[in-house]
Amino acid sequence: MIWVADAAERRALIDSLPEAALVADDLPLRANLSVLENIAIVPQYRQNLSYQDAADQAWALLARLGQTDCALKRDPALTCVERFVAKLLRAVILQPPIILIDRPALLLPDIHYPPFLETTLQALAGDCEDCRILDYAWNAPLYAPR
Amino acid sequence: MAIPQRFLTRVGGGALGWLQAWGRLLAFGARALVQTFTPAAYNSATRSVVLKQIYFTAWQILPGFLLFAALLSYVIIQIVVTTARAYGLSDFALEVSVRVVVLETLPLLTVLFIALRSGAAINTEVALMNINNEIRALEDAGVDPMRFEFTPRVIGGAISVYALTLLSCILALVLAYVAVYGFQLWSVGDFSRVIAKIFTPTAFLTLTLKSLLFGLAVTLIPIRAGLEAPRMLFFAPIAVLRGMVRLFFVIMFIEVASLALVYM
Repeated sequence: MIWVADAAERRALIDSLPEAALVADDLPLRANLSVLENIAIVPQYRQNLSYQDAADQAWALLARLGQTDCALKRDPALTCVERFVAKLLRAVILQPPIILIDRPALLLPDIHYPPFLETTLQALAGDCEDCRILDYAWNAPLYAPR
Repeated sequence: MAIPQRFLTRVGGGALGWLQAWGRLLAFGARALVQTFTPAAYNSATRSVVLKQIYFTAWQILPGFLLFAALLSYVIIQIVVTTARAYGLSDFALEVSVRVVVLETLPLLTVLFIALRSGAAINTEVALMNINNEIRALEDAGVDPMRFEFTPRVIGGAISVYALTLLSCILALVLAYVAVYGFQLWSVGDFSRVIAKIFTPTAFLTLTLKSLLFGLAVTLIPIRAGLEAPRMLFFAPIAVLRGMVRLFFVIMFIEVASLALVYM
């Protein structure tokens, strides 16, 4: 967990971690691609995989989170949880050294997000070793004490 | 500031902005062309975007477009043939109708059709991608938008315009034959001689070059106009408007330049 006091501090923190893959509200999915394509496009493009192989990887990640139902949906048809999962997996499949989830309250406005984040990140253990959650300090009471 | 000075400043600023916009467009086009001829720029992702672009731009409209092109071509050819006969100029009917329809009308009609349909769609989509921050999101995911989104569209668009032009021209040649000689094959030799006379290397090269330039314009200009949209939703229609106007003038410029090259 990284607590920040205001937007300026948040911005400075993100800038200080250029190697991190960001999961953020202002980094949307490609609207004309399905969830599966949005995730698969990363290995397809970066590792020169065929679409089938890249889609298999993306499907396996969605299956680990139990979200395969949304695989063929496009952004406007997604719930906030599905959209978050798609964005998170797009970052996870990139295998970056750090994944930074920026202001989860914005990404998951309709659920009590701290336990959901914990469960999701546990399910992805092994694929994202260093996942940091960036949230405002005033949201700290929402998280379970560690 | 004196009125003439203010006026000159405003005109100068406008002209400078106009030149800068064209400069950015040319730089963008040059980048896309370099990537087009760079084998390393292709992978399964880019190939898939090229194929999708060809599907949406050419394949999806093929039956309707060919039917429309055939009807229009036949009407124009019939007008030319009938008028030529009325003036006792039947010998020139085929040549004139092929020159009017195949060399000039169909390439222009094809590009205008694709500009209205796909050019406007590409312009809107890129403007919305830009406004919604999707381009930055792609970059953040390690995907180069130029290589993944834009260059494949330019390639797909150019191939589509060229292919549709070629198909409609072949169809028009068949219709011209039928209009002039009727449903028989004995006059293929005469027909071939007239066609060979029209399609000199210069005319053929001009037609090919014109179609390719049309294809580049119909994708490059809308993409660039979309990318220039400020990141506010209400600028999306303005970006489309600017892109379409710019595209219209470029299409007309290419057409007039090709006419000048062939006939002057």
